[in-house]
Amino acid sequence: MRTAYKALAYLVAAEVAVQAMVMVWAIAGLGKWVDGGGVFDKSVIESQATPFPEVAGIIVHGINGTFVVPGIALVLLIVSFFTKVRGAIKWAVLVFVLVVAQGQIGFLGHEFPLAGALHGLNALALFGVALYAARRLRAATAVRVEQPEARTATPV
Amino acid sequence: MTANSGRLKVVLPILATVAIVAPLAWLWQASRVPSMYSVMDMGYLDYGVGAGAGTSGGGHGGHMQGSMPDHDSVSQRLVTDMVADPARPTDVRVDLVTRQQMLTVGGRSIAGFSVNGASPGPEIRARQGQLIEVHLRNESVADGVALHWHGLDVPNAMDGVAGVTQDAVPLGSEFTYRFVADQAGTYWYHSHQVSNPQVAGGLLGSLVVTPRSGIAQPVEVSAIAHTYSGLRTINGKTEDLRVPAQPGQRVRVRVTNTDNGPMKIWSGGSYRLLAVDGTEVHRPTEVSGRSVTLTAGARADLEVTVPDGGPAVRVQLSKATAVVVGALGGDAPVPPQPAAELDLLNYGSPAPLGFDPVHPTRRFEYRIGRRPGFVKGRPGVWWSINGRLFPQVPMYVVREGDVVAMHIANHSGEVHPMHLHGHHVVVLARNGVAATGSPWWVDSLNVLAGETYDIAFVANNPGIWMDHCHNLKHAAQGMVAHLMYEGFDTPYRIAGTADNQPE
Repeated sequence: MRTAYKALAYLVAAEVAVQAMVMVWAIAGLGKWVDGGGVFDKSVIESQATPFPEVAGIIVHGINGTFVVPGIALVLLIVSFFTKVRGAIKWAVLVFVLVVAQGQIGFLGHEFPLAGALHGLNALALFGVALYAARRLRAATAVRVEQPEARTATPV
Repeated sequence: MTANSGRLKVVLPILATVAIVAPLAWLWQASRVPSMYSVMDMGYLDYGVGAGAGTSGGGHGGHMQGSMPDHDSVSQRLVTDMVADPARPTDVRVDLVTRQQMLTVGGRSIAGFSVNGASPGPEIRARQGQLIEVHLRNESVADGVALHWHGLDVPNAMDGVAGVTQDAVPLGSEFTYRFVADQAGTYWYHSHQVSNPQVAGGLLGSLVVTPRSGIAQPVEVSAIAHTYSGLRTINGKTEDLRVPAQPGQRVRVRVTNTDNGPMKIWSGGSYRLLAVDGTEVHRPTEVSGRSVTLTAGARADLEVTVPDGGPAVRVQLSKATAVVVGALGGDAPVPPQPAAELDLLNYGSPAPLGFDPVHPTRRFEYRIGRRPGFVKGRPGVWWSINGRLFPQVPMYVVREGDVVAMHIANHSGEVHPMHLHGHHVVVLARNGVAATGSPWWVDSLNVLAGETYDIAFVANNPGIWMDHCHNLKHAAQGMVAHLMYEGFDTPYRIAGTADNQPE
C-alpha cells in the first residue's frame, strides 16, 4: 500500500506537470494558427474538429483535469487509509482538496478569467503537496525498514 | 483492549473506503437510464408558481414538484393528434431525400450528410399562410432521421423530434410533414435524431417564409453559416458569398447560424437589423460600428445598401466568412470587428406584445449550473437544470392559454443558446434591466455566463415540446428539459425499438 501511495502521489505531481505542458503547447499552436490567418472562435471550438494539431492539448487538459487527476486523487485517498503511516491520510486529503479546488477554480475561469491565474498558482501548490506526500512516505518507509533491523539486534 | 484497537485498525479504513465508494456507486446507479423510456417519465413535474399553477395537478397553490403520475390515467390527448387540417390542400410540396455520404467542402472530402444530394439541402420557400408538405425519404442515414423546423411554431406532431413527436425514420422509410407557414421570416430545418453529429455533418437547410405583402428589398439572399469539420462555410462553400446588386439597392441578407456557438455579424457600412429569429423588428434604426450576436440556431435579417461610391459592401459572418454585396467582381476591404455590440434590449421602438406579461399565470425557473456527478452512468462535470442532473430535469407543465413567465439564470460558466420548441418567447429583461426597444421575440436565446433573462410567452401551441440548449453537444450531455401541456402524452419512446436519440 505504501508503494501504491507513493506511486499515486508521484503520479499526481507528474499529471500537474503534464497539464501545464499541454496547455502551453496548445496556446503556442493557437498563436501559430492565428498568425497564419486562422480564426478560432466558438463555432470552431464546438465543431469537434482539429483546426490545428496542438488543439489536442486543450482536449488532453480537459480529460485529465475532469477525470484522470480526480480519479487518481480519490484512489490515493482510499489507499492512504491502509498505509498506516502517520500523516499519510492528512496529506492525501490535502491533495484531494487541492484537486477538487483546482477543478472548481478552472471552471470558474470560464466565467471570470482572473480565476485562471489562481488555477495556475494552485497547480504549483498541488504539485508541491503531491511531491511532498510521496517523499515523506518514502522517508517513513525507510525508517520502518530500519526499525526491524534494530529490533533483531536486541538480545533476547 | 489491544485486540479491539487492532480490529479497529482493520475496520476503520474499510469503513472509510465504503463511506467514499458507496455514495458514488449509488449516484452512478441513480444516473443510469433504462434502455427505453418516455420523456413523460423523466425528472419531475414543475407546475411553476402563480394562479394557473394553483389550479393544476390537484389544486394546490404555490410551487409544486413531484414525480410523474401514471400518465396513462390522466392523459386525454396525444402529440400525434396535433396536425394541420388534413382536408386542406397542399400549396408547396417538397421531396427531400437524406443520405449519409462524403461531402466536398473547400476541396476537402468530409464524411457528412446530404439532403437531395447537397449540404445544405434545398431551400424551402413559401408565402405566409401557405401549407407546406414535405415528403422525407431516408435513403442511407444509418441512425435514422427526423426533421425539425427550427423556429416555425408547427403543430406538435410535425415538430420532428425523434422519441417525442415521432419515431426516427429508418433506412428506406418515409415520413410526411404538413404544416401551415403562418409566420413570415427566416427559419431552417435540421435533423433532430442523433442531432449533434447529424447537424454538425450538414443534415440541414434553409426555410424562408415571405410575407403576404412581399418584402421591401429588391434583392435578398440566404446565408447559412456552417462549420464542417473546422471548415467555415456559407451555403456550403468556404469562399465569400457574392450577391450581385446595383449601387443604391437595398439587400436583405438572411443569416442563419447552424453551429453550436454564438457568432458575431457586422458590416463595413451601416445596416438595419430587420428581423430576429423570423420576427420583424419594430422600426429598426441604422446601425454602424456594432456587431450583432447570433446565437446557435438563431437567425438575423440584415438590410445593407450597396454604396453609390464603392463597388461592394461586406457583411462579415465572423472573421472567417462574408457575404459580399455589390457589383460582380467588386469587393471591399474586410471591416475590423467592432468592439461594441448591438443591444437588442433597446433596439427599435416599442410595440404592443399582444398579451400582458406583467401578470403571468405561471412562473418558472430555468437555472443552469454545472457540477460533478454522473449522467447516464458516466462520471464528469455536467450541466445541471435547477440544480439537478439529467434525467432529473424539470417537465414544465402549462395549460393552454397560460401566460408563462420564465426566469433563466446561467451560473454554469459557459454560454448557452436556449431553444424552446413550438413557441416564440419575448425578452422582458436581462440582468434585471427591462427591455425598452422593439419587442424582442426569439426562439433561440444567447444566455451568457453570469446572465439572467426574464422571458414570457403564451401557451398557445398544445403538445410536448423540447426546451433545450442548442449547443447540441450540451444537449447530448443532458441539457434538455421539456414543456408539456396538461393532459398530453406521447406514444413514442426514447431509445427502444426505433432507437430514437433526439440529441
